[in-house]
Amino acid sequence: MRRAFAAAAALAAALLVRAAHGSPQQDYILYCMGCHGDQAQGVPGKVPPLAGSLALFMRSAAGRDYLLRVPGAANSALTDARLTAVLNWLAESFPPEAMTARPEPFTVAEVARVRRSPLANVQETRREVVRALAASGRAPPAAY
Amino acid sequence: MRSLDQLFEHSARSLASRSSRRSLLAALGQALMGAALLPLLPIDRGSRAQAADAKPKTAGPESCAYWKYCAIDGFLCACCGGTSTSCPPGTGSSPITWIGTCHNPGDGRDYIVSYNDCCGKTSCGTCACERDEGEKPLYRPSRNNDLNWCMANAESNYHCTVSVILGVAEK
Repeated sequence: MRRAFAAAAALAAALLVRAAHGSPQQDYILYCMGCHGDQAQGVPGKVPPLAGSLALFMRSAAGRDYLLRVPGAANSALTDARLTAVLNWLAESFPPEAMTARPEPFTVAEVARVRRSPLANVQETRREVVRALAASGRAPPAAY
Repeated sequence: MRSLDQLFEHSARSLASRSSRRSLLAALGQALMGAALLPLLPIDRGSRAQAADAKPKTAGPESCAYWKYCAIDGFLCACCGGTSTSCPPGTGSSPITWIGTCHNPGDGRDYIVSYNDCCGKTSCGTCACERDEGEKPLYRPSRNNDLNWCMANAESNYHCTVSVILGVAEK
């Protein structure tokens, strides 16, 4: 466990080397990484992964709305502009395997418009969004 | 070779005619006595005391005042059988953590620190340390450290907290 922990810390340290103030990378570390993990991998059964999933949700309008209304985004201490930058950085840095088409990045206006109305039932919305995405191509997992 | 012999003989005889064994012993005695008396001379101890005050001994990992504990809230693993960066035997590190930024007076830089809870045994109960720098109220859960970060572990008992430096926080 100690070895795994040291390896995770080393990875996180490597991740930080080029981080600059206000950079999406540093904002992710300070405001998101505590729960979502240093590789955006999440915690099975507890915290949803962002790696590999985020870009798939961004394929549809409903998926984009879902991402901006989940508690982590809607309640984030980050400003609209910094949250936008973090989400786009995550989609770029942790894409799904073998995904060729890059999703349309979020705009600050889109984030500002949508994040103000948090979801009432996150799990149910996730299932609906994933079902619709699966019907039209690749989809993130409904459960995590 | 012979000229060398003559040169050394001449210098040795010249030295012997100018000195004696007694004068050598006298000179040595003076030097030894002087060296022994040197520490007894009055010195300015006040200035040394001031210097000590100006540069206090820095706190170590078993002290709550240690710089990288600036945002901690919990028992220090360094006092609980682990170290400031590793969990004690029988416990496991939490995968979700509380992240803070601490100023290191040693080099004047700010560092991002991850506070991982060590889980799986009952509370350590030693070296409680609550500094909470940068903490926000509970309605901002990602910036609040009153939560039990062991909640994601199979064994959710909280034991103590480690502090792992993730890197330098650039301004």
